[in-house]
This record gives sequence, C-alpha cells and structure tokens, in this order.
Amino acid sequence: MKKETKRLFKDLSYFSGLGISVVLATVIGLAIGYYLDNHVFDTSPWFTLIFLGLGIAAGFRNIYLAMKKSRNL
Amino acid sequence: MGHPYLFLADLFHWPFAHHYPWVAYSWVAMLFLMAIGWIGAKGIKMIPSGAQNVLEAVIDGLENFMLDITGEDGRAVFPLIATLFLYIFTCNLMGLIPGFFSPTASVNTTLSCALIVVTYTHILGIKCHGPKYIKHFMGPVWWMAPLIFPIEVIGHLARILSLSIRLFGNMMGHELVVGILFFLAGAFLAPLPIMAMGIFVCFIQAFVFTLLSIMYFGGAMEHAH
Repeated sequence: MKKETKRLFKDLSYFSGLGISVVLATVIGLAIGYYLDNHVFDTSPWFTLIFLGLGIAAGFRNIYLAMKKSRNL
Repeated sequence: MGHPYLFLADLFHWPFAHHYPWVAYSWVAMLFLMAIGWIGAKGIKMIPSGAQNVLEAVIDGLENFMLDITGEDGRAVFPLIATLFLYIFTCNLMGLIPGFFSPTASVNTTLSCALIVVTYTHILGIKCHGPKYIKHFMGPVWWMAPLIFPIEVIGHLARILSLSIRLFGNMMGHELVVGILFFLAGAFLAPLPIMAMGIFVCFIQAFVFTLLSIMYFGGAMEHAH
C-alpha cells in the first residue's frame, strides 16, 4: 500500500470516530450528574448542570486533541 | 425480533448456544483462528511458503502499521493488538455466513474487548511513568487541575463506550438490515449489495478498533504535555 493511501485510511477511520466520542462524552457527563443528583445527594438540579458542562467540555476537548494531532502528523 | 436460523443451536440441541449465541460463536471464531495458526505453524521454514507466507504477511503488515504510530516502545503491546484485530475481524466476517452469528453484534463481546484495552492502557501508563502518570490527567497548569481532572476522567470513560458502541452498532445494524431486506425481498436477492458492502464494513470496523487502541496505547506511553 502506498504511504498516502495508508495515511488517508488512518485519518478517515480516526476522524469518523470523532463525532460519536463527542456525543458519548456529553451523555456520560449528564448521566454522572443525574445519578449524583437523584441517588446520592438531594441537590437537583445542580450536579446535573455542572456535570453536563464538564461532559460538554470533555467532548470538545476530544475535538481539540484531534486538531492538535492533525497538525503534528 | 427473533434470531435467524443458527446452526449451533439446532445441530447439538444445545440450549446454551440458543440463549448465548455470542459466546458459542466466539468459541467457533477462536477454534477457527487456532486452526489457522496450527496450519500456518505446522512446518515452519526459513523461506516461508503457503499458509506460513500469508500469516507472516498479515502479522508483518500489522506490526509495521503499529510501529509507525507508537514507535519502538509499542512492541510490548503488539500481541494484544494483533490478537484483537484477528479476533474482531474473524467475528465480524462470521456474520456474513448464513447460520452463523457474529459475536461482535452483541454488546457483551465488544464491551469486554474495550474494557481490556482501556484498562491495559492505564496499567501500561503506570508501568511506564510510575506515579507521574497522574500528570496525564492534570493538564498543563496546576491551578487548572480540579477542572481538568473530571474532564479527563469523563473522556476516558467515553473511550470505553465509544469503542464498544461503535463496533456493536455497526455490526448489529448490518445484521438487522440484512435480516429485514431478506425478509422483505429475499427472493430477488435484495440483501446481496448490503452483504457485499458488509465485507468492507467488517474490515473497516476491525481496523478502526485496532487503530484507536493503538492510539490509546501510544497516548498512555508518551510524556504528559
């Protein structure tokens, strides 16, 4: 396989997984916050909101890391 | 939705294979891989020929591909990566044969693979860096650490989910589409183009799983930014 083709496949498969990781990070943050609010503490809606924000930040951090990686390649 | 015909369940009247087809069929995949390995390694020669040649080409290609990303340090995890690729690829392809069930179309198989990979990346990180591995989670500036730490933990949890859900979703969706098309217009060979595309999807998904695992291993072994 040529080097360009190899790199194309690598990039394609890496970036195709980027979207789902953003969504899943957000959902995980929301789930942790929801669990803490309803099953551990009784502080609705604060932990949900805080962890939703953290989840969104984690999702966008994935994009940032991918950007940094594509600059270094 | 019920299963299509699964030969292991009917062949031996074996209720286990009926209730847990992914376990039974992943044994089939393992037996297949062991048989391939036995055939390839039966008469090892200095100048390879036949099955040994094919296996060496596959393993060599995988190794080169992996060492491109991780560098020489990555050689320690190569057995795990190669095993995962061959196992997942075999499991994916098994779903295309009528009467077989691809074990990766169940979330149990894919989640166990993803858990092994992500746990092992952390073990490897601790092995490589010792206590300094915590710096991977702390971000560049020390006063940002309380903010960065939960973000990083969520990101690592998302790795497990995204690895397992992607593989599971692709394989399950493929099986479902083939099943529905067969049910609707099987007499007109409607599922045929989807099955042809399925070969491509099987390869791509096994490849993506392997590539992401390699990248996670590489990320755990490199120095904190």
